[in-house]
Order: sequence, then structure tokens, then C-alpha cells
Amino acid sequence: MNEYDEKWEEQINALLDGELSAADADLLKAEATDDRDLARAIIEAYKLQKAMDEIRVERAPDSLRKRLRAIPRQQRPAPMFRILQPRWVMALAAIPLVLVSVSLMQPATPSAQEIAKARQDLAIAFAYLDKAGQITGREIESTVGNTMSDAIAGSVIRNIKSQNETSKEKEA
Amino acid sequence: MSKRYRQWVKEYQDQAWTVARYILKDAQEAEDATQEAFVKLWNNRDSIDPEKIKPWLMKVTRNGCLDRLRRRRDNVEFDESYMSADVSGPMQGASASETNVWLKRAIGGLKEPYRSLVVLRDVNQHSYEEVAGMLELNLAQVKTYLHRARKQLREQLSEVRP
Repeated sequence: MNEYDEKWEEQINALLDGELSAADADLLKAEATDDRDLARAIIEAYKLQKAMDEIRVERAPDSLRKRLRAIPRQQRPAPMFRILQPRWVMALAAIPLVLVSVSLMQPATPSAQEIAKARQDLAIAFAYLDKAGQITGREIESTVGNTMSDAIAGSVIRNIKSQNETSKEKEA
Repeated sequence: MSKRYRQWVKEYQDQAWTVARYILKDAQEAEDATQEAFVKLWNNRDSIDPEKIKPWLMKVTRNGCLDRLRRRRDNVEFDESYMSADVSGPMQGASASETNVWLKRAIGGLKEPYRSLVVLRDVNQHSYEEVAGMLELNLAQVKTYLHRARKQLREQLSEVRP
């Protein structure tokens, strides 16, 4: 067990690491001439350093080198999982989203052909309505008399026609 | 294989192996631990600062080894096969290779973090700053612990080789 002053320990290591200034190195050596324990510690430190210099980083065995080279190949995901990588999942999820967006962006106004067809259907409906009004009028007439029939059937037909004209004005 | 990864393997495989070998003292386990560290390196290759690959790898290697030691719970036991020669007793007149074997054994016998400090600094020759980063210590702690470790080794060396 060395009994030299512990304060020199740091200096010895700095000396060995080449981090001690020339002035401090001289001071340490001067102190060592009068302090046998310090001198002994410095000699031992040099011996250790010499022995340490002989120890090298060890070469990894060939079996390990082979294992390390194989890591990228082994860690590569299987083809099935490769398609499930986030970017692919995002792309797949985006497809229905795009389709829905495109369909929502379609114009809501009907085509000219659809409008013409609707008007044709409406004309037919009014023709049927006229006929139904006439039949109803005749039935009422036969039951309650001519005056009453005109008042009821005529009023209904006028009301419907009026609504139709209003909607046409709105379209225009 | 990634070109970068290949370069890292070439540059650091021996250093990582040396760290694992000294800490675990078992060749097979050291191989496994080193491989695990490189698997982690491969899996995290895009998130690690390229400038800090070496300290990152050494730290992961060491931590993996310490985890294995904790599981093993025999960190004082020493694998005799690593140091085949019987080097106990005085070594006056011993050859350099005998001293070398003795010293490896002595380093392996140090407790943590002294052992890792000596391996990283004195064997692998990493700078004090790098060692501090690897062991998550400050520079003053690294120097203090390393002084203690070297002192222990010095005293052991003086006993066997007066």
C-alpha cells in the first residue's frame, strides 16, 4: 500500500496521459526524489502503462464478423410485411378517400337532358290531372249540381297550376 | 447491405467485441451481446447522429453486457478459458505475453465502472470525452474513477511483479 500523498495521484495519471505541463512534471519529479512512496508510485504507473501498451483491441472472431454482416439481410421484413409499411398503408387508405372526394366534387345541377325529361314527365302528369279534374267535376256535377262542381274542381286545378307556374318562375 | 452499415461494422466490430469480451468473459455470450448491439444499430441507423455512432454503439454494447451480467448474477466469476495460462503468483522475469495475460485478467477482475473505463480508455483508446459520453459520466468522474482503477491495477501489478 502506497503511503504517498493522495494529491499526487492525479498528477501521476496526467503525466502518463501526457496532459501534465512541463513545469508540473518537473515539480512532480523533484518531489519524487525526496518521497520514496511517490517515486515508487510513478515507477509502478510507468510499468502499468508499458503493460497496457501491449494490450490491443481484440480482433472479433470470424464467426461474429459473419453474423454482423448478415444482420441487414436477417432484419429485412418479409415481402408480406413490406407492403404493410406505413407509406403503403397510407397509400391504400387514400384510394377510397380520393374516390369519395371526386364523387362529392361532381356538379349538383342536373343536365339539360334531365331537365327536358322532367318537364315532359310534368306535362304528362298535368294532362292526367286535367282528365282527373274533369272526371271529378262530372261526378260532383251529377251529385250536387253544375255550380258546386265548378267551384270545387276548378279551384283544385287552378291551385295546382298556380304552383307549377311559380316553380317555373323560380327555375327561370 | 447498407454501405454505411458495412463501414460501421468494419470500423467498430473489434472495439465492440473487446468491450463485450472483457465485461462478459465468455466468448459465446460476448458474440451474442455484440450482435445484439449491431442489430440495434441497424434498426436505429436512421435516427442516430452519424457523428455519434461509435459512442452510441459502445454504450449499447456495454449496457447489453451489464444486463446479461445482472441476469447471470455472477459478475465476480471469471472464465478461466479466456486466460489459459496460470499466472497467479510473482511474475518477476515474466515475459511480456505473460504480463499481458495477467493484466487482461486483472482488468477483468475490476468492478464496474472501473473495468469499462479501463477497457474503453486504455484498451480501446477512446478519448476521455468519448468515454464520458459512453458511460454517461462527467469528465471529472471519468478521470477520478480511472485513476482509482489504474491505482488498483498498479498495486496488483507491484504485488505480482515487484
